[in-house]
Amino acid sequence: MKETSGNIYNRLAPWIIPALLLAGWQLFAMNESISGSILPPPLEVVQTGISMAASGDLWTHIYISFSRAIIGFVIGGGLGIIIGMLNGVYPFAEKHLDTTVQMLRNIPHLALIPLIILWFGVGEESKIVLVAIGVFFPIYINTYHGIRSVDKGLIEMGKVYRLSRWHLFSKIILPGALSSILVGIRYALGTMWVTLIVAETIAASSGIGYMSNNAREFMQLDIVVLAILLYAILGKAADSLAKLLEGKLLKWNPVYQKNE
Amino acid sequence: MAQNAGVELHIHQLEKSYGHLAVLRKINLNIKSGEFVAIVGKSGCGKSTLLRHISGLEKATAGGIKQNQHALKGLNDQARIMFQDARLLPWLSVLENTGVGLGLEKGWKNRAYWALQQVGLEQRAEDWPAILSGGQKQRIALARALASKPKLMLLDEPLGALDALTRMEMQSLIEELWLEQQFTAILVTHDMNEAITLADRVILIEEGAVKLDLPVDLQRPRNRLNPAFAELEEELLANVLGKVRIHQYEPRLRKVESK
Repeated sequence: MKETSGNIYNRLAPWIIPALLLAGWQLFAMNESISGSILPPPLEVVQTGISMAASGDLWTHIYISFSRAIIGFVIGGGLGIIIGMLNGVYPFAEKHLDTTVQMLRNIPHLALIPLIILWFGVGEESKIVLVAIGVFFPIYINTYHGIRSVDKGLIEMGKVYRLSRWHLFSKIILPGALSSILVGIRYALGTMWVTLIVAETIAASSGIGYMSNNAREFMQLDIVVLAILLYAILGKAADSLAKLLEGKLLKWNPVYQKNE
Repeated sequence: MAQNAGVELHIHQLEKSYGHLAVLRKINLNIKSGEFVAIVGKSGCGKSTLLRHISGLEKATAGGIKQNQHALKGLNDQARIMFQDARLLPWLSVLENTGVGLGLEKGWKNRAYWALQQVGLEQRAEDWPAILSGGQKQRIALARALASKPKLMLLDEPLGALDALTRMEMQSLIEELWLEQQFTAILVTHDMNEAITLADRVILIEEGAVKLDLPVDLQRPRNRLNPAFAELEEELLANVLGKVRIHQYEPRLRKVESK
């Protein structure tokens, strides 16, 4: 019995501080310590959320932002993993590609927004391209680094034991690099949201960023705050998903084994 | 019977240098089929380098090695190595790690399981290596090396990191499996006691050359309390240390202390 109540507490513990913050916010808003024109009370934000959800507007915006994020992430992340592996495994590829990638990496990708808009317009492509560029570099760097830092002793062992090239890669190099690749993915998820928010705020006619920016023009503070909350929730959801993935893929690692 | 037997090796005028540094100087050594040879020497004397040449991981500067009358080129197909660290893949189960010894080729599972039985760890087949003790990890490494029924087993100080009791257990396990499967075994070690416990012959390497080739004619399993055992160990130790040298070093040590 003791164990289960301990379990429940452990599950709830991370949410105590967010809950207290929300309660405090509501309290201060209700006794008017904070004016409604600076920060609307949370219940009002929730009500706005519910009514927007009922009308379907909210879902459209979320869906659009979400699909931009995913498509951009898959394209940029996929390229990052492929090129990172290529450069990690083949010295020839590294010699010819790494310098170029490192040069490009040092350009802040958000600085490309004007160029990207000129090239791709304000439609879907520009957002997807920006997200893809944003997530490419963290995933590339971590994949490359992960592969280069695989224990040389294990690779030598694999060779002595006559593993095929495919097995050498799939059983030694890739799993050895995986934890580093996953760090890159988690980091890139952060970059993904930042890029999307900026891109949608600057030039878009849909999506959460647009919804927020549009509300600002009409002084709809509740919607602005709602958008910010949505980003927090979506960001946390993405991170939890990555964590889940880590737990599944790295279950051999004692660090990721849950104490029972 | 004949095809199961271990390989024979002829090492002829083998030399290896890295730049100006000569690590192996004209090594000549014949190893019979099924023989258990221990190579001892101080660290840095070239004993591990010699083993790496036999496995094909290093290329000789001059001279060469013949295995069953054929010159060795590239990685040695007949040889399996046990390293000082177990080098298990932490993301594969114990059984899969053993299967690595079979290249994870079709049908590896049954043979890997057989190899695990040989080292007495079949009940840990599904575990991750991370939860095993150091001795158990080396057992898995031994099973991995055994799985393909190699004709040459190269042991590169595989027991160096284990505690004394586990080491003795592993020694008798290795001896038992060697007697049963009749592979040729070459053990690199810095432990004279271990060399005499296991080997038919102990080779002492000093500064890259064979200094002593000492046959060990004791009955197996060997009794460490046997006076003949102690005598051999003493002879070996005297040769390794080179009594004269110890006296030469003493004044130098004093100088350092007085600083």
